Amino acid sequence: MTSKRLLIAIPSLLIVLLLQSYLWVPTYEQQAVGNPQRLRTYIDASIADAKILNPILHADTASGSIVGLIFEGLLDLDENLRLRGRLATDWVISETAYLLVNPAKQLPDGTPVTGPVLYHRLTEALASGQFPALQALVTSIRLLPPERRQEVVRVPKTDEQGRAVQLEVQVTIHVPERLAFSLRQVDQDFFTRLTPIIGERYLSDFPYDHYLEVADPTLRELVRPRFRELLPVAEHNPEILFHLRRGVRFHDGHLFDAGDVKFTYEAIMDAKNLSPRTADFEPVKTLEILDPYTVKVVYKRLYSPAISAWTIGILPEHLLNAQALQREMAARGLSAAAQAAFGVRDSQFNRHPIGTGPFRFVAWQSDEFIHLRRHDEYWEGPPQYEQVYVRIIPDLLTQEVEFRTGAIDSYTPQPHQVVRYRNDTAYQSFSAPTFAYTYIGYNMRNPLFADPRVRRALGMALNVDEIITYILYGEGTRITGPYPANTDWYNADVAPLPYDPVEAQRLLAEVGWRPNAAGWLEKDGKIFEFTLITNSGNPIRKNIMTIAQNAWKRIGVKCHTQYFEWAVFLQDFINTGSFDATVLGWTTSPLDPDLYQLFHSSQSGPQQLNFVGYTNPEVDDLLLRIRQEYDHTRQRELAHQLHRLIAEDQPYTFLYTPTATRALDKKIVIVEPQPDGGERYVKIFPTKSGSITYYFNKWRKLAFTPEF
Amino acid sequence: MWSYLLRNLLQRLLLLVLISFLAHAVVHLAPGEPSEVDPSNPRMKPEDIARIRAAFHLDEPLHLQYLYWLRDLVTGELKSFKDSQPVLPKIWRRFLNSLPLFLCATLIVWSLSFPTGIHAAIRRGSLYDRTTTVLAYAFISIPGFFLSYLVILWVVHTLNVPVIGMQTFGMENAQPFYRWMDRLWHLVIPSFMSAIAGIAVLSRYVRSQMLEVIGQDYIRTARAKGLPEETVMYRHALRNALLPFVTMFGFLLPALIGGSVIFEQIFAWPGLGRLGYEAILARDFPVILTLNFIAAALTLAGTFLSDILYAVVDPRIRLQ
Amino acid sequence: MADLPRTVAPVDTVDLAMPETPLQEVWRVFRKDRLAVASLGVLLALLVVAIAGKVLTDWIVLVNPETVRLPEKFKPPMSYAATELLSVADRPPFGLYLLGTDELGRDVFARMLQGSFVSLSIGFIAVGISVLIGIVLGGLAGFYGEVKLGFISVDTLIMRFTDVMLCFPTFFLILTVVALLPPSIYNIMIVIGLTSWMGTARFVRAEFLALREQDFVVAAQALGLPAWRIIFRHMVPNAIAPVLVSATIGVASAILTESALSFLGFGVQPPYATWGNILADGKNFIFDAPWLFFIPGCAILTVVLAFNLVGEALREALNPRLRRR
Repeated sequence: MTSKRLLIAIPSLLIVLLLQSYLWVPTYEQQAVGNPQRLRTYIDASIADAKILNPILHADTASGSIVGLIFEGLLDLDENLRLRGRLATDWVISETAYLLVNPAKQLPDGTPVTGPVLYHRLTEALASGQFPALQALVTSIRLLPPERRQEVVRVPKTDEQGRAVQLEVQVTIHVPERLAFSLRQVDQDFFTRLTPIIGERYLSDFPYDHYLEVADPTLRELVRPRFRELLPVAEHNPEILFHLRRGVRFHDGHLFDAGDVKFTYEAIMDAKNLSPRTADFEPVKTLEILDPYTVKVVYKRLYSPAISAWTIGILPEHLLNAQALQREMAARGLSAAAQAAFGVRDSQFNRHPIGTGPFRFVAWQSDEFIHLRRHDEYWEGPPQYEQVYVRIIPDLLTQEVEFRTGAIDSYTPQPHQVVRYRNDTAYQSFSAPTFAYTYIGYNMRNPLFADPRVRRALGMALNVDEIITYILYGEGTRITGPYPANTDWYNADVAPLPYDPVEAQRLLAEVGWRPNAAGWLEKDGKIFEFTLITNSGNPIRKNIMTIAQNAWKRIGVKCHTQYFEWAVFLQDFINTGSFDATVLGWTTSPLDPDLYQLFHSSQSGPQQLNFVGYTNPEVDDLLLRIRQEYDHTRQRELAHQLHRLIAEDQPYTFLYTPTATRALDKKIVIVEPQPDGGERYVKIFPTKSGSITYYFNKWRKLAFTPEF
Repeated sequence: MWSYLLRNLLQRLLLLVLISFLAHAVVHLAPGEPSEVDPSNPRMKPEDIARIRAAFHLDEPLHLQYLYWLRDLVTGELKSFKDSQPVLPKIWRRFLNSLPLFLCATLIVWSLSFPTGIHAAIRRGSLYDRTTTVLAYAFISIPGFFLSYLVILWVVHTLNVPVIGMQTFGMENAQPFYRWMDRLWHLVIPSFMSAIAGIAVLSRYVRSQMLEVIGQDYIRTARAKGLPEETVMYRHALRNALLPFVTMFGFLLPALIGGSVIFEQIFAWPGLGRLGYEAILARDFPVILTLNFIAAALTLAGTFLSDILYAVVDPRIRLQ
Repeated sequence: MADLPRTVAPVDTVDLAMPETPLQEVWRVFRKDRLAVASLGVLLALLVVAIAGKVLTDWIVLVNPETVRLPEKFKPPMSYAATELLSVADRPPFGLYLLGTDELGRDVFARMLQGSFVSLSIGFIAVGISVLIGIVLGGLAGFYGEVKLGFISVDTLIMRFTDVMLCFPTFFLILTVVALLPPSIYNIMIVIGLTSWMGTARFVRAEFLALREQDFVVAAQALGLPAWRIIFRHMVPNAIAPVLVSATIGVASAILTESALSFLGFGVQPPYATWGNILADGKNFIFDAPWLFFIPGCAILTVVLAFNLVGEALREALNPRLRRR
């Protein structure tokens, strides 16, 4: 019977055809030894796909790590977390300070203030040698004529229906005569240093009403609180002068110059591009090209984190400027509506990026892989690896499986997996501290958590050391305050909360919470009950949640738990402040101790980051001072004070700084070419700053496992 | 007949618009909005978020948002929230990735379940029948990801070859034949995994159809004529039992876009299912809605096709 | 079925004394399938376990699935607890971890016990919802099929909708809805129920179409009984057989769907343990603690298989055409 035979033959043939393919697939050994090209290819794994390969637009870590290979900033951080020049060879920080001439005032000796009087008095004082510190600081003083400028101010107002609206108000500012001081370096105390000459009270009580004219006089009072900001009596304008590296080429051969730097800044600030990095560059007043390889950036105010923002990758202007975008729109035949909204974010460039970094982009198959090839003309010399693949493997278990078959060279293991590599002969793993920490935050608008003793008691009921030992397998450092443990800002003198459930119960009893018949704590007929939430997809946070729930149950606190997806978690709970307690983490910048947005009382509105509603005037004051401080040692002192104050208040139960881990094939080493043409192999090591991939350009896979 | 087809087509178009609007409403009213914001970046300001919302039209009324979506879909200018790339080419690329997996799995299902099912029906009550019954049910009953992990671990442990993804990397210099075989191998295990439940269901269905037909009078007549059992089974019974399966080709259409989220997730296969899953996680509304729209369109087209096929193969049914 | 006997016992049967009721007949056929009987035993045992689980983990807490004992993590099954380190309240019953402990040192036995109740109730409630919708829609289509609503008949409308739902990629639909809705065990039950009624609806419609022509229905209509009474009193009980079969299989697939959702991270949230989320969490530790993967996996396999086999045997037993042979 033909039909019967066919019914048997077709499936058999199919299965044989499918299974024979096994015979052609290389095993791990064949991949490692039999294929020299494989040794020059680095295959990494990532859980999530990149979203957008553009340094000014990306906001996810997956994109970030690839962007870091393709693009370069003016600066980056070296192995000791110091700034290091990349596209900039060096940079000079100075300042121009402005002081308004206030004719309503008198100098200490009674002379009425005018522009020339003030100018002469100050130049004479500096020349007199009485003020050596000022003399060393100031290079020149100029008297600027009065000028007029117009600004549009947005002020909040409640309309007839009681809704909050933003009004746009036009303000004309008649700027009086000003003195401009060029300073050798940024000095936030410059104006206080001037007070012996201009008088203690010079800076206060400026008669704003003479100088500001509001287009609609009925709105004058609404704008009044902004007067100080629109016309500051004393103004600091820090400046950075960058000298750019010559002869650097983008991957398409185009020469890099100052135009690209200016373009990158403008692209960030262009509202159409929706860049998430605008806040870093908002304090920039002007960016000037002095010559093709010199750029001067002037800032509106003191803002010490400013310099580190220049680690952002520089975009090629010739591929993304208005003409280039116009060409792209024309090629894609977009409608007028789409053209009007078309910006850098819409460009195909974000899927085929071109930068100046050590690797050039080749291909990107969404959710499968991103392929890079080395940039042979890289100014610092080409990397050892010829190709880099980043494979997207969403499942943690299959990542490990692929790693063990040798199909990927590296991945980020979970803590319990790291343990397995500690004594492995074929694989190595690295752990390095990150600049992040995990905490449990309490919503202090909830009367339950208003008393710091309650928050302290909840913290004491948790055995954090046990969490670090058993959940993180030691891949974490306990912290006591709002800075990651490995930064300068962290105050090591603050003692951690002891694990002491008995003391916790006593503290709670002090506040009035006493156990009832069922064992739950009760006060005024209500039991101590709340919901702890976190985001889904993070098994460690989920575990912490369960552990906390159980630990608090032991002291009689009833805690419900729930996790939500990021989108919902943020929008419905965190941004609106409608939660009781949450397990979360912060990633901070190692350079910058600024925590204004996290803990300042003004930042506790909806969608702001002080979502726990923490207020402490002392802390508010410190936060502002840290932001304006340019001196590292003083910044550090202030940060330590801040740490101590926050640790006393316990707005969060601070848990730990996790480590970044990476599992690598043992055959991958750092290759140091020797002068005699040979090579020396060095075992890969994390730098002091915690970067494992810092020397990535020197990495290569060997055909054998070296012994160190 | 033509008027029937036309009427039917119109009904379905109407339904399609209705479904897409409902889907739109559900997706937009549900909690959660696209977060293009790095939540752990302490530098993101409320103004930035407001800007992003305005750019995505999220601050406008629902029906307007629907019209924007429809307009952009028709003009082909619909772009993803996530990376601002056009949605349709994005879906098309993923479709091309899903296609081999789908074809291979379908081929396995259809070629394996017929012999299995027919044989079980002919030998009803035999050891073979009982074993395949239990096996079939076991395959239906096992959680797909449980089985997949077991198979992956077994293959990797005993055969020591990679199985995840669409290909082995780092062998660009190998001959094309090797690379093709490598791709084929990466296809084998995921397609078997996603086919297994299908084989079980379909072979049970084939078996019961065969049993149904074997019980009919004309089979008894054919036997009574003294025809050899094989001819009775494979010529008379099989042909009639096959009829309902023809209509199932119509149902394959929507399965094209269904993709299997779970298997694509485990095997790191960049298919449509994962595109949809990632889009849901990121609240990438344009992608979710367009995928949903295409799925609904294919579903309606599939049922339409199967109605027609049914009428074509079964003379008792006339479209009216 | 007091109204009118559907079948008259054949006169030539041997056992004249005890005419078989339909139920007995079904049981007689069902009993022959030893695998199905064994499966039924498994299900009954499961029911007992589930109820015991609810009682022991929730009402009279003998085994506590929530107790975290970090130093006791990853103890293999049948290992003894380090009782000297644990307070009396933290100790597992008899100081023994019957099925080992998980990554937080929780007793897997207690969690499986609690999970059995939750998993089973998800299956039953989801199926309850789907059966209800299926009966209503199928009944409407079968009973009022010819009523016209404008240019389309009720039957066409309902069946077209059923067809669309039937071949829509259901899992993706469930995933979308579950992911978008606030996470809650009830949402999962409802969504599974809302997306799995199509089979029931079709069976009920087919049965109703046949029953509508039957004498007892025609007689009831002639007597002027209200339609709802005819439907629920006379027709539904007669159409229940195929519903029972699809419900049995429905429970199985609801349990599987829940485990698939758990795998993707959209399953039932703590504090509810389900077999699905124990399995999904356990898969990460397959090399460290294989029992966390195999125990729930095999439990799901066994129970779902038992449901399917019972469903299959029921189908055979209830199908009059197959039964006679």
